[in-house]
Amino acid sequence: MTTVALRDGTGTTPREESAETTVRAFFAAYRAHDVERMVDLCAEDAGFRYVPFEVWSRQRVLHGEGKVCTVGKVIWTTLIDAFPDLTNAVTSLRADGDGNVAAEAGIGGTQAKDFGIIACAGGRYELPHLFLFHVSGAGLIDDIVAYWDNVAWKKQLGCLEVD
Amino acid sequence: MSARELAEKFLGHVEAGEVDEILGLTTPDATVSLVPLNRHGPMAADGASYLRELARAVPDLLVRVRRLFVTADNTAVAEITIDGTQADDFLAVANQEKHFDLDQAWMLKVTPDDRISAVIAYWDQNQLYRRLGVKRLDQITITAW
Repeated sequence: MTTVALRDGTGTTPREESAETTVRAFFAAYRAHDVERMVDLCAEDAGFRYVPFEVWSRQRVLHGEGKVCTVGKVIWTTLIDAFPDLTNAVTSLRADGDGNVAAEAGIGGTQAKDFGIIACAGGRYELPHLFLFHVSGAGLIDDIVAYWDNVAWKKQLGCLEVD
Repeated sequence: MSARELAEKFLGHVEAGEVDEILGLTTPDATVSLVPLNRHGPMAADGASYLRELARAVPDLLVRVRRLFVTADNTAVAEITIDGTQADDFLAVANQEKHFDLDQAWMLKVTPDDRISAVIAYWDQNQLYRRLGVKRLDQITITAW
């Protein structure tokens, strides 16, 4: 086993509280469909990675990875457009003293438009997500990573194709 | 042992397929949530069952820790990549000896006396199916080259 790029921290600190506050504000903006506010809570060059987001074509694989201001903003806007009642509920939030935050959130909505390979059948989904943030000392999110299971998502919306 | 050290030990045992050693790091009533499998229950039953199946089906498993931090409530949060070659049926997917890699996130809640009391894991099962050649979610056992 190899270990790389480690961050660590323990104990309650103002940094921890500040990071949690920023992340809660992020999810509140997401609930309000205020994408500009979501982006404003992030640093200008904040990293973005939605791990399950893969689009496979004959030539290459597109990943949901890049910057918040480009890839992230487009994905959030497209999601809200396809699921106009999209909402979230944070179910757990834990932080360390170095700005790392792990947030579990349930995200759900009713499909009104096609989304990727998921054709719109008007279905509704609810799906647990794990978000890992890093929040800078200035209180801005500078990295977002998210995990969820696309099998559960697609099955709820009636899509049974893997690709 | 710190929560970080415990998590590294846990993940090292996952790589080695040492399930009994993993259970030795947990409390007797430790729970597990394998979110994409919708398996939630005792670590000694549901967790051990999954880890034994993983060890049997992917005997050359490698676990690479990409990020690890410990939150104020003593939960170790790890982003890992597992990779290996399928050598037996795995989660109902027929074996085609395909090599795969899969990004996962694990959270290990650690008690004050350095035992793991809860394990929560997230990954995208669709990515695993894609890498193992599954084409349809209602026909997991049918794979394509």
